[in-house]
Amino acid sequence: MKSGDSKTARDTHPAWRIWDNPLFLRYCRSRLRPRGLGVSLLITVLIAGFIVALCGSIGLRGRLGAADAARPGVIALLVLQSLVLFVLGTAQVAGGMTAERDEGVIDYQRLIPMTPMAKVFGYLFGLPAREYAMFLATLPFTAWSLWRGGVDWRVWLPLYLVLFSSTLLYHFTGLVTGTVVRNRRWAFLVSMGLVFSLYTVIPQMAKFGLVFFKYLTITPVFEECLPGLLPESAGRGLKAIHAFAPTVKFFGLDFSEAVFTAFSQGGLILTFAVMLRRKWRRAESHLLGKPWAAGFFVWIQLILLGNALPLIETGTLFPSHAFRRAGIVRVSVEAPLAGEAVAMSGIYGLATLALLFVLAGMITPSLDKQVRGWRRARKQGRRSLPRFCDASSSAGFVLGMAAVGATGWYLFTRGLVESRWFPGQAVPLSTLGYFIAVMAACGLSFQALLEGRGARVLGLAAIFAGVVPLMAGAVLSVISNRMAPAASWLIGISPASMPFYASGSLLSISELPVHLARAVPRAFHFWLIVLLLAACRLLIGLRAARRAMAAEVLREP
Amino acid sequence: MIAAIDIRCLRVDYGDFVAVNDLTLAVPPGEVFGLVGPNGAGKTSTFRVLATLMEPTYGEVFLDGVDVLEDHENARRIIGYMPDLAPVPTDLKVWEFLDFHAAAYGLGSRSQRRERVAECLEEVALTDQAGKWCKQLSRGQTQRVVLAKTLLHRPRVLILDEPASGLDPLARRELRHTLRGLAAGGATVFVSSHILGELAEMCTSLCVMNRGRLLASGTADEVRHQLGNTTRVLKITALARHGEAAEWLSSRHGVHDLRISGHQIVFNFTGDDETQADLMEGLIRLGIRLRTFEEKRSSFEEILVEVAETNRSL
Repeated sequence: MKSGDSKTARDTHPAWRIWDNPLFLRYCRSRLRPRGLGVSLLITVLIAGFIVALCGSIGLRGRLGAADAARPGVIALLVLQSLVLFVLGTAQVAGGMTAERDEGVIDYQRLIPMTPMAKVFGYLFGLPAREYAMFLATLPFTAWSLWRGGVDWRVWLPLYLVLFSSTLLYHFTGLVTGTVVRNRRWAFLVSMGLVFSLYTVIPQMAKFGLVFFKYLTITPVFEECLPGLLPESAGRGLKAIHAFAPTVKFFGLDFSEAVFTAFSQGGLILTFAVMLRRKWRRAESHLLGKPWAAGFFVWIQLILLGNALPLIETGTLFPSHAFRRAGIVRVSVEAPLAGEAVAMSGIYGLATLALLFVLAGMITPSLDKQVRGWRRARKQGRRSLPRFCDASSSAGFVLGMAAVGATGWYLFTRGLVESRWFPGQAVPLSTLGYFIAVMAACGLSFQALLEGRGARVLGLAAIFAGVVPLMAGAVLSVISNRMAPAASWLIGISPASMPFYASGSLLSISELPVHLARAVPRAFHFWLIVLLLAACRLLIGLRAARRAMAAEVLREP
Repeated sequence: MIAAIDIRCLRVDYGDFVAVNDLTLAVPPGEVFGLVGPNGAGKTSTFRVLATLMEPTYGEVFLDGVDVLEDHENARRIIGYMPDLAPVPTDLKVWEFLDFHAAAYGLGSRSQRRERVAECLEEVALTDQAGKWCKQLSRGQTQRVVLAKTLLHRPRVLILDEPASGLDPLARRELRHTLRGLAAGGATVFVSSHILGELAEMCTSLCVMNRGRLLASGTADEVRHQLGNTTRVLKITALARHGEAAEWLSSRHGVHDLRISGHQIVFNFTGDDETQADLMEGLIRLGIRLRTFEEKRSSFEEILVEVAETNRSL
């Protein structure tokens, strides 16, 4: 090769030189052709102009001053910009990435001498090039509205920084989906579903104590900045309300909404970037390495706890507080109910368990990967697998994450139950043991089934042991109260019910209805023992199978 | 001398299906080496492993001494890979597609890249199509554009999966010249096809695969010999005394299925070149006046079909 044999990919195309990135330029070329771009820009400019003109006219008709009349235009433009970047941009990233694989040209891109991160950035900023251009086309209108409305830069700057970080987060989501999901139509649907969940469904968990999830959206920053974007009179009232809770609490620290949102989104963006880098380095790699997955799990636990614990004492963490403020429920007493604390504990446990399953699924090697790992070890003259390699067993990491998750769950539950709202109540340390047993039994059964028997068996187990009992129990429970104990035994089979059963059975503030008061704790203890025994049995079988596999591979000629 | 392509005990499984089974072969530098086999023989899987696009179940692959499985980055610098069906992006023009790859391979300034793109387009005789959209190209033209892309960075090892499919006879001849020119320049070309005759013309040596296994390798004659297909059909036209000639031939070793049709005697012969020469000499000594002595070997296509069918029935 004539051109610079000694040059590495890092020298030729550093990841940070995005303006010089061939993939970025390739997509700028194809997506910014005058014919396609012209129509998109025309429509964008027309809508943006219409928004500004309409908002101004409404303001003037309402006899508002020029500044107050211009301000609502900023909000409407922000909605337009969010639609362009979040919806169109993400769809383009996910669909474009899948189209690359569908057409088969992704193989060429795998071979070109660019670093994995340079390729990731090339796609990330190149695929939605037209959407960025459409966004830029709205900026003159935004600038005019901001100037005319006299909006302080301390209001719009954080808002637009978080708009950008949210855009990156959603585009990364689309890119990961497009890279992982092989079918083009599914990639589009999954990425849009994920973005929809990230933006609307998951943030709803904030209402049940998992405050962190609302910082995955632009909403908290928008709400913080809203007083500065509304006409003077309306903004003043909101400003007064915000003065009561001006910052985000994180353990003992105070952050502005913008800083904390950027911090929260930054963690996810970094994790997505790591996933893509691994996939571009080696297509067969797991999405995350074991240490990174464990670190990510710990980070999520810290953020969940750091956000939630400071809000317990003020009562703002409890759903009833939010419902009271919204006027949804009329409760004469200010104190939260014991039942909602128990439910919140269960939801925390379930969310932790779900995250544990997702990460365990990412780091657990398939049978084929294990065999390849052993063969590679043999080639390198090793008698064992490196601890952190993809092919090594994930049991230790899953157990570690289960312990961390159970500890987080315990701390959250203790914070709720031992708060000033429930005087005289305590959560004994033995509860931590139970929580660890629940997390470990569920997590390790999942891991051992996946690693030892494969995804198909795990899927069947999830359906017949996870979903069917829930459905059958639900049907049984609505027949009559007399059937409720039998239904609770049936529902208890499902690992998804374990966190709720644990909270309901172990917490002193739990007030189970009479017809469930005996059945639920008994079902919980019984099924926990069964699940623990099953996990042990599966792990022993897995260990033996791995040893046999290693011996067989190392013996091969 | 280090082999340009060194494959050792390569195996590729897809679940229970074995696509490549214990493949071992070495290709010296500067060769145009052909890999032939029917559909499903394991050619594409082998090529994808060589191109660092697939991890094999086990085995080792070295390209110019670089371990493909351990050192992706360096291996990718020396290979040029053209996949089967040669996909092209639908949203780029031909020159844009090539310029993008030239930029990605760091082939200098814009003018240097343009020069190299023009060279490669000329090499595949597509200079006049540079401004055309990739999606508007015919199958053969698409193949040639992708070949041009593969040549851009002057790779030391070219891995071409069915490059001649879709090409017309003229383009095939040009491809043959191009590949030989590249090999003469020091590059090693590993090319596959399911048409053995096509490779026999193009390659300095070749190997035959079927159902993941290597059946034979070497020069075209060596491959024919290894496949056990040494039967040739001989046709003799004598001016007179056909019966006598036929009787004498029937008594010779290696002569089978003899039949007389008019002045012509046709028979299968499994002997070597020496004994074939002896036959002719013997007939002349007998005083039989021969007008023609023709040899017809089984075509490569026939051999391949025979091999594939034999393997299928196993």
